Amino acid sequence: MGHTSLEKIIALQKKTPHIRNLCILAHVDHGKTTLADCLVASNGIISSRLAGKLRYLDSREDEQIRGITMKSSAISLHYTTGNEYLINLIDSPGHVDFSSEVSTAVRLCDGAIVVVDAVEGVCPQTQVVLRQAWLENIRPVLVINKIDRLIVELKLTSQEAYTHLQKILEQVNAVTGSLFTSKVLEERAEKDAEAQSSCTENGSGDQVYDWSAGLEETDDSDLYFSPDRGNVVFASAIDGWGFSIHQFAEMYSQKMGIRSSVLLKTLWGDFYLNAKAKKIMKGAQSKGKKPLFVQLVLDNIWSMYDAVVTRRDKEKVEKMVTSLGLKVMSRDLRHSDPKVLLSAICSQWLPVSQAVLSMVCEKLPSPAEISAERVEKLMSVGARRFDSLPEQTQELKKAFLDCSADETAPVIVFVSKMFAVDSKALPQNKQRPLTQEEIAQRREQARQRHAERQAANQSAETLKGTELNMLPTALSVKTAVEEDNKEHFVAFARVYSGVLRKGQKVFVLGPKYDPSLLPEGCSAADVLPSVPHMACCTVDSLYLLMGRELEELDEVPTGNVLGIGGMEEFILKSATISTSPSCPPFTPLNFEATPIVRVAVEPKHPSEMPKLVRGMRLLNQADPCAEVLIQETGEHVLVTAGEVHLQRCLDDLRERFAKIEISASKPIIPFRETVIRPPKVDMVNEDMGKQQKVAVIHQVKEEQTKYPEGVQVDSTGLVTLTTPNKMATVGVRAIPLPEEVTRLLEDNVELIRTMEQFSLFAWEDKTLDINQKILENIQEFKVKLESNLQGRKWRGAVERIWAFGPRRCGPNILLNSVEGYRRPSVWQCLEREKETEKAEIRDFDNSIASGFQLATLSGPMCEEPLMGVCFSVETWDMKLSAPLAQQDSIDEDSQTAEPNIDNQNESSDTHETNASSASSNRSRSGAEAAGSSVDCYGPFSGQLIAAMKEACRYAFQAKPQRLMAAMYTCEIMATAEVLGRVYAVLSKREGRVLQEEMKEGTDMFIIKAVLPVAESFGFADEIRKRTSGLASPQLVFSHWEVISSDPFWVPTTEEEYLHFGEKADSSNQALKYMNAVRRRKGLYVEEKIVEHAEKQRTLSKNK
Amino acid sequence: MSIFTPTNQIRLTNVAVVRMKKAGKRFEIACYKNKVMSWRSGAEKDLDEVLQTHTVFVNVSKGQVAKRDDLSSAFGTEDLTEACTQILAKGELQVSDRERQSQLEHMFRDIATIVAEKCVNPETKRPYTVILIERAMKDIHFSVKANKSTKQQALEVIKQLQQSIQIQRAHMRLRFVLPARDGKRLKEKLRPLIKTVENEDFTEQLEMVCLIDPGCFRDIDELIRCETKGKGTLEVLSLKDVEEGDEKLE
Repeated sequence: MGHTSLEKIIALQKKTPHIRNLCILAHVDHGKTTLADCLVASNGIISSRLAGKLRYLDSREDEQIRGITMKSSAISLHYTTGNEYLINLIDSPGHVDFSSEVSTAVRLCDGAIVVVDAVEGVCPQTQVVLRQAWLENIRPVLVINKIDRLIVELKLTSQEAYTHLQKILEQVNAVTGSLFTSKVLEERAEKDAEAQSSCTENGSGDQVYDWSAGLEETDDSDLYFSPDRGNVVFASAIDGWGFSIHQFAEMYSQKMGIRSSVLLKTLWGDFYLNAKAKKIMKGAQSKGKKPLFVQLVLDNIWSMYDAVVTRRDKEKVEKMVTSLGLKVMSRDLRHSDPKVLLSAICSQWLPVSQAVLSMVCEKLPSPAEISAERVEKLMSVGARRFDSLPEQTQELKKAFLDCSADETAPVIVFVSKMFAVDSKALPQNKQRPLTQEEIAQRREQARQRHAERQAANQSAETLKGTELNMLPTALSVKTAVEEDNKEHFVAFARVYSGVLRKGQKVFVLGPKYDPSLLPEGCSAADVLPSVPHMACCTVDSLYLLMGRELEELDEVPTGNVLGIGGMEEFILKSATISTSPSCPPFTPLNFEATPIVRVAVEPKHPSEMPKLVRGMRLLNQADPCAEVLIQETGEHVLVTAGEVHLQRCLDDLRERFAKIEISASKPIIPFRETVIRPPKVDMVNEDMGKQQKVAVIHQVKEEQTKYPEGVQVDSTGLVTLTTPNKMATVGVRAIPLPEEVTRLLEDNVELIRTMEQFSLFAWEDKTLDINQKILENIQEFKVKLESNLQGRKWRGAVERIWAFGPRRCGPNILLNSVEGYRRPSVWQCLEREKETEKAEIRDFDNSIASGFQLATLSGPMCEEPLMGVCFSVETWDMKLSAPLAQQDSIDEDSQTAEPNIDNQNESSDTHETNASSASSNRSRSGAEAAGSSVDCYGPFSGQLIAAMKEACRYAFQAKPQRLMAAMYTCEIMATAEVLGRVYAVLSKREGRVLQEEMKEGTDMFIIKAVLPVAESFGFADEIRKRTSGLASPQLVFSHWEVISSDPFWVPTTEEEYLHFGEKADSSNQALKYMNAVRRRKGLYVEEKIVEHAEKQRTLSKNK
Repeated sequence: MSIFTPTNQIRLTNVAVVRMKKAGKRFEIACYKNKVMSWRSGAEKDLDEVLQTHTVFVNVSKGQVAKRDDLSSAFGTEDLTEACTQILAKGELQVSDRERQSQLEHMFRDIATIVAEKCVNPETKRPYTVILIERAMKDIHFSVKANKSTKQQALEVIKQLQQSIQIQRAHMRLRFVLPARDGKRLKEKLRPLIKTVENEDFTEQLEMVCLIDPGCFRDIDELIRCETKGKGTLEVLSLKDVEEGDEKLE
């Protein structure tokens, strides 16, 4: 068959009933692309000799090198059996990491070819793709591939092969069956829930359980694959042959004189041919006879392989060839590799493209036969039901079902992904063979240039001039090159209704667009009111996707897969395009794999940062599954579905989008620091305090050395600290907050911020208007806090809250427990109406709060923020401030005290000499008075901040300190066989299983676990490797969790020594984390530079 | 040991000498290399891992042991171990290669961390990561000086880095209220110090919210205080003007 011309395809595109949109799905390495090659070869696009070796649709370089497909790509084929068909074929990747590409392909199709390896059978990805096809309501057909391996590699007899094939078919049908049952059960559960609710409403106690409903009633026979139904093809794509039972049935009905319909029914199954009676009988197995399929079909193929490959019997081969009526070229006959001869014979005898394409055309629906059910599913986004959509929108359903290419029909197009194309590949820029005139013209130009050059050589003095002339040309060449390198995005789309034309004005509807928000009566022609997630644009260019190449088109009628150019500004990843603004956006694609592998990406040369950011933006657009984000720490994080996907993304960044060298590394892991109540048991679960402490072998630093002079710590953890000038003394105690309170504080950051703002304004005698809703929320928040802070210790605590920190809104509290000091509460926005009873703010109130803010921002363990700690200020004595406080106007002091934090910080970096200038940094009346408070220690407010900060830190250290780790919740779907291995991986990475339950109707288990973020690097990859891809995890950040081990713990009791040895550094996870963070930040880590002094090299260097 | 070493000359290897002068006498002890710093910081707790021998010398390389009388006069004890610990704690020592290396490494990290904390990318208003700063510091061939404070060096590095990458001290957000009388005059003086004015309200008094370079804070503070004689107020709204939260690139 010759190359199909573009005109032919354009003509075919208009005949909607004769279009088949289909994709090839399978597990990795089951031969999707090889099969696609065979189909492509049937159209003469590539040579049939190269089919299976070329992998035409794997156009990327790394796809060819790795030998796996990484993206879905489409090609249009032409096929004739009586009728002429246009087949839009989409090849999809099989690797788990790229299952997002499968989703984008499946969405655009009406049918799918599921390929299964005859040796490996049903694999994890096979199940996944079957599920995907099921969820999208598209009809699958089955191709059992690589049958040649049964003959050549496994050396099965035809009888064994038959049972093997039967088993595979059963496996596939089992998967389909379980999908079906789970759906039925789900529906039933829904029905039950509804029934139950109605029952309880009615108040009738007796419930009737209808067990019979469900499975038995629903007919599922048309779902299954069976050769006699014609939806199974047996093939060997690499050798180029394939057949369905139809072909053999017809062949033998002529030969044996049995009706083909009878043969069709009996060719697959437990039937045998009774030679004497010339009858087909049932029960081949029990009678030990060869089933019909073996006798008539497999035996022929087996003998063919035997003759050609195994024995290389030339005579027999010739005999067979002539009996089959084939023509084999003598060149092939003489070829030393028997495979060449084999494929030459087989591809004529049973061409795979013929078998597959005829099955596809017969069994798979055309775009016009789209089911109403599928349309409703596509149109109803999220939880919204189809019925709830606006009327206009519901009317569009008819357009879907009609699928007409009329002028009047509304255009509905779905874009499932954007892919980047080199501008060279675009048809506009493609090199065409030059015409005669052009060649002549060029020759003339070249001649002129040559003449010029000669002239230039002759006149040496003009050298300078030419150089000047050269410069601009060089520049222009450079700009041209840059233009060339620009990436173009083409939208991968399908027309569901109407005709999409070049230059047409259309609406681009984002995935979050809601048609019900639309004002009445407006069309594409109108000037657009600004509606969220909607844009209006003109269609720039339309392309026919031909694998690696694009052909330009003027219009695309309904039912076709196409590429749309020039949409990159309007579409991010997917979108719906329509001429009617009431069209709903299509349901988002179901991705089987969510992105979970996180890495931080950085340019090799820091100056190339902008390029990286631009590149990452492009990558985000080009890849449906990749996510990129900038974190608060300044890290650029790339989230991908798996390691292979990550590699591809990095390659893309390097070579296409950013074009710079980049490095990917483990992202920074955040921690929090907290204190806990003193534990009751020690590390070996013995009661504390009961047993004798053995003498500590190593001299532990004495308690007092931990605290410098001027700090007093009493046994209850109260820390008193005096400022260097001995003017003020603060006493602070650290108390762990209950977990619920911490969570409450975290959840209400916004409210706290509002309250903070209010108090700030109140200080300046202004008021901030807060709306009623927020006030109610604040009130509720306060009540909740009160209910959680019960007990003697916390009496009246909520009223006494001084501040929240860090950054004034964090999960730590500063409590005012100073006797005789009443300050306005943080809740003053609630009691605006009430007259605040003579609450006064003491001088330097703000310094205390600032000290607290600084202390909570970075803790003493590894300079990470604190969490869930309450600092209670118990004493605060000032020698000097008493007279001052009376003179000073309160408000001003509280404001001006604040800049001193910065003085404190800046003093060391700007001018070390803390000039007296900073001292007068106080309010007008206080200026003179405060002047006296300045001494060699710097401004007093600064000293107080520092003292408060130190006091907090020591108070923190006086309590049992713990590190808090960020945790992921991890949801893992796994089959029963690999459960054990999933658990092993989890426990190795300090994960904890929360629950495990079986998914109804399937053999899949759903495991919920928590896993520290610090251990998650490489987790997805490890779990996939260990479970051979049968388990797929999903990670979501959930909460902070206290690590139970004490980072400063050393064994002290006899039992602990026995358990952990002297050093006990093996099991201390918290210490490991802490030291890693300290090392990263360049803080001091307590470890020896050399472990064993004697083991150092004892030679000096210069000898 | 190579064959060229004369047989009568025995080199000290794996020995670090700690010296101390006390009561007019010189005392030395022989320690293992790379261990003295760990002892001083408290990481090493086993004295035998630090000392080669519990002997106090006058000269380690010559093997001259200190006299008992000198010891008791200088340290007030004849216990050699006690004398050794005193010398270890206070004597001068040769910093050995790995000790120096790890110290410089720590300082380098520390400087990078300080720079990363103080600076932002002016385009995105987001901080750079420490790793990136470290790489940039290596690119401009920055070398750590052990005798200068890390903070000082960090400020120097920022200036040098500005030539190679887009980096800037994170701005401080200030708000000040000036009396109307001084407002106009002061505004002119403040202008060169202010980077951007975010909000300006000149009705009864001049109220301004602006971003400044943290280095200028002291000048502005002084200016306002002196010129208005304590009538103007200055308030720091945020120490670092950076973007908060994660951003999705789209």
